[in-house]
Amino acid sequence: MILVTTFEVPGREIEAVFGLVRGNTVRARHLGKDVTALFKNIVGGEVAEYTKLLAESREQAVDRMVEEARARGANAILGVRFSSSDIAAGAAELLVYGTAVRLRSPAGEPPDRRSPPPRD
Amino acid sequence: MSAQDRDPTPDELLAMAYVDGELPPAERAEFAARLLREPALARDVAALQRLAVIARRMAPPEPADQEWARLEKGLLHRGGMGIGFAAVLAGGIGLAGWAAWRLAASELGLAPKILLFLLLGGFLLLFLVVLRNRRRTLPYDPYTGVER
Repeated sequence: MILVTTFEVPGREIEAVFGLVRGNTVRARHLGKDVTALFKNIVGGEVAEYTKLLAESREQAVDRMVEEARARGANAILGVRFSSSDIAAGAAELLVYGTAVRLRSPAGEPPDRRSPPPRD
Repeated sequence: MSAQDRDPTPDELLAMAYVDGELPPAERAEFAARLLREPALARDVAALQRLAVIARRMAPPEPADQEWARLEKGLLHRGGMGIGFAAVLAGGIGLAGWAAWRLAASELGLAPKILLFLLLGGFLLLFLVVLRNRRRTLPYDPYTGVER
């Protein structure tokens, strides 16, 4: 599955558009991590507890979006955007969305539905 | 013979294809239905998903990571954090017990006392149920290994 923030992939033609796909999640860490994060907030530096929280949320939201795109038969998501908001104190809400499309395989290569290229 | 030495079973191959998104829609739906019925298979899939999520990490380790890892292994960190959290927990439980005893011994009427204990007991029960559920679902959460 190709994920890009652009609205086209150079050298690849859009064969079909499946519309909006999105994934979201709200995650929290446990109270113990909130306590250590509170003290890091006082002394400064990176609050790794919350960095991890946001990273977990980002990966889960992306996976849900990819899952939806895959279910629709897409092999790429264009115009990927991230959004966040505050649902609860100490929790991270991440929303990721984009346009699911099927890109035509490059000339001379077989369709890549069973072996999609890596996402990163 | 370890798991690495033998050939993967058909179920393990299916699980890998499922995690990599390589199953056709019909097979994918069939496999997803099996996950609902077979907790052991669902745990295997979660373990593969955890590996996939970690393998996706592209950023190299930062210089501070090693120092953090060294600090967290140190006796001062482990002891300080352990004693600190134990003290907070013991203080919290003790304070709650003391407040409950004072409430029971107070001149408040029987009905408000019962209602207050119901309220606090209800919150405690809800918390314990949520905690139990979280502990049960933790092995199925592939995102706990993500660091940044």
